[in-house]
Amino acid sequence: MTGTGNDIVSLGAINAARTNQYKFYSKILSDSEIPLYNEFNLAVIPFENFVWLLWSVKESAYKLLQRHEPALLFTPVKFVVKKLQIPENYAIVKFVANVEATGFENNSSINGLMSFGQHVLYSRSIIYRNLIVSVVSNHDSFENTCWGVKSIDDPEQENQSKEVRLFLLNRLKQIYGDFDFRIVKNPHGCPILLKETEETSIPVSLSHHENLIGYSFLKHD
Amino acid sequence: MTREEILSELKAVISPYTTNKEMLAGIDDQTDLIKDLKINSANLVDIIIDAEAKYDIEIDYDSADKMVNVGTCIDVISEKLKEKI
Repeated sequence: MTGTGNDIVSLGAINAARTNQYKFYSKILSDSEIPLYNEFNLAVIPFENFVWLLWSVKESAYKLLQRHEPALLFTPVKFVVKKLQIPENYAIVKFVANVEATGFENNSSINGLMSFGQHVLYSRSIIYRNLIVSVVSNHDSFENTCWGVKSIDDPEQENQSKEVRLFLLNRLKQIYGDFDFRIVKNPHGCPILLKETEETSIPVSLSHHENLIGYSFLKHD
Repeated sequence: MTREEILSELKAVISPYTTNKEMLAGIDDQTDLIKDLKINSANLVDIIIDAEAKYDIEIDYDSADKMVNVGTCIDVISEKLKEKI
């Protein structure tokens, strides 16, 4: 099983005071995850951002797994983050409208290890001043994982949907050439990539929150 | 409480998290919170917390993950209200 899942959280849209209430964050974090905040020196980020960091990792993992298990329900506390590695002197940087990359070598990412049942998954996340982006894979190497985040002017749902597809298609064309790629949803709501009318084996994931859109996909040679 | 009464109150609980007010006015059991009402998944926790506060109930995570459409939201709330009696 190979796959990818991504998620974006717009930090401008979260309610920090509510997130910091146990009643709220206990719906997202399992008891074993709360101590990770101190254990892995994550106190350089506000606790509410830690909660949404884990949310984005869990939602990304759900997207990866749900493609293979369509009946899977998203229960955040059942996705258990075991480790989070934050670089020394981690600095939260400003997001500049559009970031696209392959892998995370050139980005200062927070690296995670998590489990869901018998599945072991790996994550890479970046916290910018106004957003959190996460990508999850079932391999610890992200060298073939292409990802991107972009801000858009119109956050209406229809426009998010249109813009995120265009964003991904442009990147695919940069890599593979000007093929007739299309993105459609399968009957379970997962995005799939078509080349003309044939489904490709390239797993893709889409995300949007407020005026932010993002994608991830696994590049094939 | 009847299902109709819960449905009516549920509209108020959901309202802050959807911009699709037209769809909200006509919701029924089959209305999907994410696909139809375009609620961001990040707001599902808000809806659960708001429902807990409104009805003074506790929604455990096994019940919460069933709350994907209006009908299952009403089922869970009805069940938790019965447990209070």
